[in-house]
Amino acid sequence: MPKHILRLLVLIAGLAGFGLVAKAYFTADSFYQYGHYRGDSIKQIAAREPAYQTPRYCVACHGERHAQWSANSHKSVICEVCHGAAEGHPQNGKLPVPHDTARLCSLCHEAMPGRPRTQPQVEIALHASRQQCVVCHNPHAPKIAMGVAKVAGDPVEGKKRGVAACASCHGELGLSPNDTWPNLAGQHPAYLQRMLAAYKSGAQQDVMMSPLSEALSDADIANLASYYGSLRCRTAAARSNAGNAVAGKALSRNCAVCHGDTGLTANAAWPRLAGQKLTYLVNALKAFRAGLRKDPMMAGVTRGLSDTDIANLAAYYAEQSCEPTVQARSR
Amino acid sequence: MEPKNKKPPSQDRREFLSGVARVAATTTAVLGGAALGALARVEAKADMPKQAVAEDSYDPSKHRWGFGVDATKCIGCLRCVEACKRENDVPQDAHHFRTWVERYVYLEGEEHARIDSQQDPVNIEASGSEREYRFANRYKGMKVEKAFFVPKLCNHCTHPACVQVCPVGATYKTADGAVLIDHDYCIGCRYCVQACPYGARFFNEEKQVTDKCTWCYHRITKGLQPACVEVCPVSARVFGDLGDRESPISLFIRNNRVQVLKPETGNAPNVFYVGIDKEVS
Repeated sequence: MPKHILRLLVLIAGLAGFGLVAKAYFTADSFYQYGHYRGDSIKQIAAREPAYQTPRYCVACHGERHAQWSANSHKSVICEVCHGAAEGHPQNGKLPVPHDTARLCSLCHEAMPGRPRTQPQVEIALHASRQQCVVCHNPHAPKIAMGVAKVAGDPVEGKKRGVAACASCHGELGLSPNDTWPNLAGQHPAYLQRMLAAYKSGAQQDVMMSPLSEALSDADIANLASYYGSLRCRTAAARSNAGNAVAGKALSRNCAVCHGDTGLTANAAWPRLAGQKLTYLVNALKAFRAGLRKDPMMAGVTRGLSDTDIANLAAYYAEQSCEPTVQARSR
Repeated sequence: MEPKNKKPPSQDRREFLSGVARVAATTTAVLGGAALGALARVEAKADMPKQAVAEDSYDPSKHRWGFGVDATKCIGCLRCVEACKRENDVPQDAHHFRTWVERYVYLEGEEHARIDSQQDPVNIEASGSEREYRFANRYKGMKVEKAFFVPKLCNHCTHPACVQVCPVGATYKTADGAVLIDHDYCIGCRYCVQACPYGARFFNEEKQVTDKCTWCYHRITKGLQPACVEVCPVSARVFGDLGDRESPISLFIRNNRVQVLKPETGNAPNVFYVGIDKEVS
């Protein structure tokens, strides 16, 4: 064999050998383990730690919240959707509690073409003006009992009972003779029933109402509620210098969603405020603010009100006509 | 061609062949040793990872993952998109997404849908940040004939075009059906980004590698759901084992008339859709 051919062959063989050795050296050990890729990379990817821990992680410490949340309509929205991924919590500090709920909640609940009809949606501006959602809604149990059972009481029976027990303070026709006690005429029977039941059970306390309502049976309560609800509300517009009704009107926009534009709500769950007694309204709002009257929604909306705000609001609602001929804006 | 009288001994055929044989034998002997050594090493290593997997109590061969999207349920809240970014360290800007949501809106009298996603400038303006996402209510008050949201992600195809084109074996399909990317091996050539018919892949400039949805492989191998499935408030996303007849995805496919995106490409996606329109691809 000529030398140059031999040399060429040796060179080729040498290069091939070098190539093979280089390949064996540089190819990762796990490369052909499962196929034409590095088997170890699967484990590498799988080794990453999850950021979202799921509610099973949260329940260990936040059992009470978890119980409330998991029993209500937001149970499909896991904790970390609103509070952020729980990785590193609690070691690295607290998770955020969202404050701008109007912004957060509208991500899902702003009325928008494309959202399925089954999704609860609202026009934010009409529904809540500029208020935060948490003022009325508990994010862990967001549904507000809207459906109100019709009060099945007998107004005639209620009249008999009412004249005896209530008329001295609330007036024979449910129109209170003084400024401190509320008018009852034309009030939603469901609301009246709810309040009487609350006095009876002790959920709400009043030096006069508590002992009086203790003597009432459930049937009495229904009858009374029906009777006073059936009466026609008639009041002269009560003007007063105690508050600025114009300023109150501006504030009342925040109340209108539940109580109606002029306080004549069509929703039986909530009381009508139009033409109500001024001092009564002031006292009620202050009681809500102080937590003496317990209502999560009213506690929320009254928290930010000053005494002046309360006086203004009361002045506005006291001025409104409670005549039922005025049609309340229906929600 | 060579003259008969001039016959150099080295060009004798027999001599030449025996010479070749000698060289070959030497080379084989030299390389054989090296090759055998290498082979033994590969075999020894091949046993090790199998044990490791068994220790992790996750066996890829026992699963066949599948994903379902119910577009009739999606409310376009984009919690999935934000959760995915957080879970997987996706660059926090409006240009890189492992999963995203498209909105299809047919206005009255218009033939084609208007399509936008969370990265549309109008929607970014509505959210006020490139790190937070929300759909602007831009069709409010307009006469909308039909509208719906379509969540998108990597389809983890049975015949993935992206895997086929990778020149370095950096992307692959695992035994349990996930298409993954080996970030240590990716050379950043972006062939796969081009090859994917669904636009599911993006180039991560920070890491200089291609990136995409892994179905949260680190979660599903630990028995968790992918982050997007976990956070979806309306259960528009479904995940599970196609091999298990009672898994959410098997029920989803059995109880619905499902379709896949761009079936004509032959990629055979493993993300199944309900409630999308012919214009969705």
